[in-house]
Amino acid sequence: MKRRDSSHQPQPRPAQQHTWFRETAAIFLKEWRCELRTRYALNTLFLFAITTLVVVSLSLGPLGVATAERTTVLPVLLWVILLFAVISGLPRTFVHEEETRTAIALRLSASPTAIFVGKSAYSLSVVLALEAVVTPLFSAMMQLPIANPGLLALALALGGYGLAVGGALVAAIIAQARSTGTLFAVLALPILLPLLVLAIFISRAAIAGDGAGDALTQLLLYDATISAAGLLLFPTIWNP
Amino acid sequence: MPTSPPPVESSITGSVEGPGTKTSSRSLRFQSLVRSFGRLPVLRGVSGEVAGGGTLLITGSNGSGKSTLLQCLAGLLAPDRGSIHWIEEGRELSAEERRQSIGFAAPVLSFYEPLTTLENLELFSGLRGVPPQRGQELLERVGLPLSRPAGALSSGMAQRLRWCFALLHSPTLLLLDEPFQNLDAPGRRVGAELLQEHLDQGGMAVIASPELDELRGISHHIRERIHLDP
Repeated sequence: MKRRDSSHQPQPRPAQQHTWFRETAAIFLKEWRCELRTRYALNTLFLFAITTLVVVSLSLGPLGVATAERTTVLPVLLWVILLFAVISGLPRTFVHEEETRTAIALRLSASPTAIFVGKSAYSLSVVLALEAVVTPLFSAMMQLPIANPGLLALALALGGYGLAVGGALVAAIIAQARSTGTLFAVLALPILLPLLVLAIFISRAAIAGDGAGDALTQLLLYDATISAAGLLLFPTIWNP
Repeated sequence: MPTSPPPVESSITGSVEGPGTKTSSRSLRFQSLVRSFGRLPVLRGVSGEVAGGGTLLITGSNGSGKSTLLQCLAGLLAPDRGSIHWIEEGRELSAEERRQSIGFAAPVLSFYEPLTTLENLELFSGLRGVPPQRGQELLERVGLPLSRPAGALSSGMAQRLRWCFALLHSPTLLLLDEPFQNLDAPGRRVGAELLQEHLDQGGMAVIASPELDELRGISHHIRERIHLDP
């Protein structure tokens, strides 16, 4: 143990140097750093997604669905795979903080909105990575031609955003409760249902080469609403 | 080093002002705090006050509400009734300002196990806007290895890391729940030194402990205490 030295000198008042963006970036980087060392969420998400993908492709295969029904059925399967993969891994982002009692240090060190946005950004990056792996594999394994890849990418981006932010909000709520696994499914499904309906509709349009109509605007509005709800509700959920 | 009489018991209220009066414009006052968990009342109208340079000791047996009181003061729990006022230079601090000015160390506080001690403190330095080298300075001061994962720390080492976390941003108010628990003699000595330096700089401290024996090394800092009954 070292003797007393000059290390414990008054520091510049931290409050004056505080910025919301720095807090958000620090949370985002912390999430990735911890995840890359434990790989819990990544392993769970990708294992679930790839396993389900293989089961679906082996069961149905490219010829298992009638050509006329492919555009209708396959986008649903794609989003179901994405949804359940996300549900299986993302709740951990807040639940783990409470279970390991690191939430207290975080509560004392960062503003609630920075925590919410930082964790949502992390969730979004994971969901986008998942989509980037699963969608091409799904398309290849089911031999599904996509007439409008740009529109599908937009649907995946907007749908992924809603999944990430909505999932983070629900995860924050259930982290305060006990039966977290069951609660996440119960709470997430009604919140994410409109998102799924819209994302599936736009994905169908992209595969068939049709226009997405108002669905794109509605999905944008959904994302904006869930973001606003998250920013408004999270401080109350996170703090006593 | 200032000398002062041993702690004086004062039922469930207490107040203390530090030996230095240079920071008398700084004070934390809590009045009639009530907090229950479900139907179980834990705090039943606790009041107290501490001023700059002073330490308030909270004693009581297990389950008497010491940790609950500290968590209320830290803003981690909302009291059901009562008020908390933190005055700096004649102005009451907002909840956000209070959060940024509190240093908290308690058994309920844990760190990110995959990250090293230094990485943990660098994270909280980044969040608090403190230079990253401050974490390394504190770790060296308390004698903790920089590169050991937090998940591989002994209970005594984890307690030293809690001290570092509490002091990282040079807070105005230290809330210490059983701060010497699991510390060996050198750890207790450096903890007492860090507390002394904090008080010398005009900081305030509220310390909760079930036993006075644990606080033998710092008893000269304590002027007043609140005793809580379960």
